[in-house]
Amino acid sequence: MSSTEQGTSSAAPAEPTTAPESAAAPEVPESFYYVHGKDKVVHKVSAGALQHSALIHGMISNLGYTEEQAKANPFPFENIDGDILQMVVDWCNQHKGKPTPPEDTNLPKQKEKLFDLVLAVNYLEIKELLTYCCKQVAMMVKGKSPEEIREIWMIPTDAEDEAAEKEAKKRAGKEAAGETAAAAGDAK
Amino acid sequence: MASIVEMPELVLEKVIGFSDFKAVLSLRQVCRDFRNFIDDLNDSKLPDSKFQEVKITSGDKRIEFELVDSDNFSNRILFSKAERSRRFYGNTEVFENSNIMDVAVRDLEMILKFQKTILKQLRFEISSSCQHYNDSSVNALPIKLSNMFKKLNRKIKTKVLIILADYPSEVMSIFDFVDPDTLKTLGFTLWGGYLETEIDEFVKTEHWKKADGMSSDFIVLNLNVEDICHFSSCSIRTNSITAQELDFLRKTYTSSSNYKNSSIHLRSFNEIEELGNLWDPTDFFDSESSWLFRMKNSDERILHIEIHEDHSAHSTRKIVDFVEIPSSWVSPEAIIHDYNGN
Repeated sequence: MSSTEQGTSSAAPAEPTTAPESAAAPEVPESFYYVHGKDKVVHKVSAGALQHSALIHGMISNLGYTEEQAKANPFPFENIDGDILQMVVDWCNQHKGKPTPPEDTNLPKQKEKLFDLVLAVNYLEIKELLTYCCKQVAMMVKGKSPEEIREIWMIPTDAEDEAAEKEAKKRAGKEAAGETAAAAGDAK
Repeated sequence: MASIVEMPELVLEKVIGFSDFKAVLSLRQVCRDFRNFIDDLNDSKLPDSKFQEVKITSGDKRIEFELVDSDNFSNRILFSKAERSRRFYGNTEVFENSNIMDVAVRDLEMILKFQKTILKQLRFEISSSCQHYNDSSVNALPIKLSNMFKKLNRKIKTKVLIILADYPSEVMSIFDFVDPDTLKTLGFTLWGGYLETEIDEFVKTEHWKKADGMSSDFIVLNLNVEDICHFSSCSIRTNSITAQELDFLRKTYTSSSNYKNSSIHLRSFNEIEELGNLWDPTDFFDSESSWLFRMKNSDERILHIEIHEDHSAHSTRKIVDFVEIPSSWVSPEAIIHDYNGN
């Protein structure tokens, strides 16, 4: 029985039932923090689960919030979609205080979700989950030709890319010309 | 939705870390951004190509690379000089505006950039039908390779190095880019057949000094036995040898703890009587003589020396074989000399 498991059970009810006086069992009840993504849906997550994220762990370790303060100040992650943040929170809860397995097969299979997850996980600095995600991304294109990879990862060819760039430049050029014209107009 | 091209470098690096060598070569061809990213990556972050054997064949008309991977599967890439083309798994690509040799060298550079495993064998076969040294472009390949490796600032690591070439100078330019520290065995063939060749240049190299096995099929001029006595396994040809020199080899071999075998092919040997005086005349027969010496550091091992004649179609030559054998192979009646000659 690990100390973290005790921590979980003690946090939910009011008083821990007469737990054996084990030296490893911490008396401090577990603290919780709150996070939300782009959709503003707030998730309550234990500090133990949030330890997976080096970013959040760094933030909360210096705050010393009370339960009320934590509730009143959820961490906003406006750059992360709600469903992606849900996935991250679920993963952190599932792997709280556990040694992470060498493989994780529960990652999203759709590439759109996987790429968004990679960006979120990279931002939140969740090392193990990032490793699994990167492995999954690599597996997507194993044994595939460059053309197939382009299709799977939806990458434009250099020619398409150049054309798009030229188009963007043209537009930017036009806008700039418009602006200078406007500026010239102002000066008059 | 996020796109793979906007991923941070750390993420791409990790993805490449989980990809195999072939996948990274494919990724390199996906787009310019990937190519630049992969080419700028430190070699240590690239996956190991894990080739076991590399064979490079270069002739007047074509260059061929044969790469044996860790599944023992052979991959061949063929470059035709006349067609300016590269052929790989049935796909032919024509390079109108490039020197095909440069294309080949660049391909090899790309492949070896990923190689971390020490090769079991590296084999070069360089041959040219026109024997004029100056106008043969074939010889340019080892030099181009040597320049490429200088630029890469690394050398190929291999256990066995086999070189078949026209000239000793080609052998030397190949030595330039082979790491001597991992070398165990050297093998040389010069196409000129039984040409007489000086090996002064070879014996000065670290490759020669660090290898413990060597075999060559050309006739070595002015052989100095001190240059070959460190090989635990050796096969060499020369014009002749003195009884004193054979005795020097015998002494070195019996003192060595890891000696295996040597074979010295001689055009002629006139000192059989002197040798009998040095070792033991009783073992002296008409066309075949043999001696047994105890190894210095082991009672279990015996050095068996045999001199015999080999009659080929053109000539007769003498062969001196030194072989280390277990003492259980020797009949109880046989005379075994002490390592110091008694």
